[in-house]
Amino acid sequence: MRPFPNKNGQKVKQRLSRDSKSRFVKLFFGYQSSSIFLVLIGLILLFTFFSKYRFSSVANIKVLLALGPEFSIIALGVGMLMVSGEFDLSVGSILVFCSFIFIRLFETGINLFLAGFITLGAGALLGLLNGLITTKAHIPSFITTLGTMMLWRGMALILSQGFTRPFNPEVLPLFSSILTGKIGGVLPVQVIWFGVFGLILWVVLHFHKFGNWVYATGDNKEAARAMGINTDRVKTICFMIVGILCAFVAVSQIARVSTFSSRAGDGWELRAIAASVVGGTSLMGGIGSMVGIFLGSITIPIIENGLVMLRISYFWTYIIFGLVIILSVLSSIYLKRRKLRHD
Amino acid sequence: MRGSSTDGKSGKSLVKMVNIGKWFGKVHALEGIDFEVMCSEVVGLVGDNGAGKSTLIKVLSGYHLADKGEIYFEGKKVNIASSLHARKLGIETVYQEQALAPNLSISRNIFMGREPAKSLGFMDKKSMDRGSMEALESIGLHLRSPGALITMLSGGERQGVAIARALHFKAKLVILDEPTIALSVREAQQVLEFIKQLKREGISVIFITHNLYHVFPSADRFVVLTRGEKIADIQKKDTSIDDLLELIVKPPSHN
Repeated sequence: MRPFPNKNGQKVKQRLSRDSKSRFVKLFFGYQSSSIFLVLIGLILLFTFFSKYRFSSVANIKVLLALGPEFSIIALGVGMLMVSGEFDLSVGSILVFCSFIFIRLFETGINLFLAGFITLGAGALLGLLNGLITTKAHIPSFITTLGTMMLWRGMALILSQGFTRPFNPEVLPLFSSILTGKIGGVLPVQVIWFGVFGLILWVVLHFHKFGNWVYATGDNKEAARAMGINTDRVKTICFMIVGILCAFVAVSQIARVSTFSSRAGDGWELRAIAASVVGGTSLMGGIGSMVGIFLGSITIPIIENGLVMLRISYFWTYIIFGLVIILSVLSSIYLKRRKLRHD
Repeated sequence: MRGSSTDGKSGKSLVKMVNIGKWFGKVHALEGIDFEVMCSEVVGLVGDNGAGKSTLIKVLSGYHLADKGEIYFEGKKVNIASSLHARKLGIETVYQEQALAPNLSISRNIFMGREPAKSLGFMDKKSMDRGSMEALESIGLHLRSPGALITMLSGGERQGVAIARALHFKAKLVILDEPTIALSVREAQQVLEFIKQLKREGISVIFITHNLYHVFPSADRFVVLTRGEKIADIQKKDTSIDDLLELIVKPPSHN
């Protein structure tokens, strides 16, 4: 809303500067992702002060930037899937199963890039399976992915016998530095990957036709179908995106810790859903934005890390998660009502 | 009481359904229905619940396949196999409540599934917004912004958006399934205005409803169904609301 010049230009300008503050506030609160942004800022300030600045120490921020993106990347995909109206409880299990595939490929001695791409393909396939079972058999994805969650975790456990397996990043230093290196020796490259995935999904969800189909499918499946959108295909592609992201994180995590562990990704499924909900995504589908999902996906690792920095018992984590989820949903409802009133 | 639908006054035939039959298992949903709509004609399709109105329309919009009979569109025999096919011919159906995604903007709804794209499938939002406003204005609906969410609109405005969508995509025949149900008096009146506007634009309309007081002023001709059969096909000048009501509630007979 730029003021256009007119005879009373002077006057308009004056009034604007007086109103610009309240206008900014109104615009800010009208924006869907404002509540999560405030929650995030609040948490960061809280953790910074109460941890006596341990939270904001360079060492901790480096850890946070290297570890956090692993979870956050997956949460981005889960958020988009939720906009299409489906859930994925199997993300942690897809991750661990893909980890196992990757470590076995590594053990055969094939080129690591090839192994990485095969693992991505496997992740896409596992996502495809979730999607096909859900859409073709008309089973709620909550049930489908509850099944595949147990199935793939179980497969990983049986095949690995629960043992850890070593990975040697020295085999191909380029591979490891692309996934887990540090830019300028400081900034963990995982952050860049997270940013890139976030940017791609943002562009797809908000500017591409496919994004409109995702929203329409989640918001009113019958209407979307009546308008010729293949809602089954839209959902299945969203499941596949989640699978691919899980596989990517599986590979990058192994490169970082140099070990396969059958506990990888344990408990991430509900946290990923929580991240999306905190970011303003509706459990019913059709509502949500990539900016909100992005902020929500950062919130969860920040809470985990912040509590450690506060030296609070790990057991408190769940209580804080619970409070943050409920508070952010309440505040977004409040902002939505406020917006409707003001319009 | 049978009127004639082939007096040719309204011009050329747009769609002609001949001897349509449809069974659901052993239930005879439609039997021997002949149904025709002329160019820029508004036809009121009336009848009680379960009379077969929706089934007939679903055959025409590609949702159901008829078990018997033929359909001619602009004189050519067609086999409407899907809703996509129906839309390609120029038949747009506006189902109430099912037509729009409530949490999406007006322009995203109007172009849902048919988004104009620049390169690589990225939406051309400017042309979507412009097209939306033009379509809305062409049916006389003046809304503030193409970015407003459907939830913020009144029931009448929602119907308007759905009708504007049909108009934008060059529909030749718009089928309105109970467009005034669940609307306030004022909103229903607004929808009736949209229908008049469609007729002025040269578009044919099939108006399905229970409410004779809504359909009577807007339609040129009425087709009455009872238990899957056509019992009357009559021009407005040859009938009245009371006559139609009597036809609807009268038990079916074959004389």
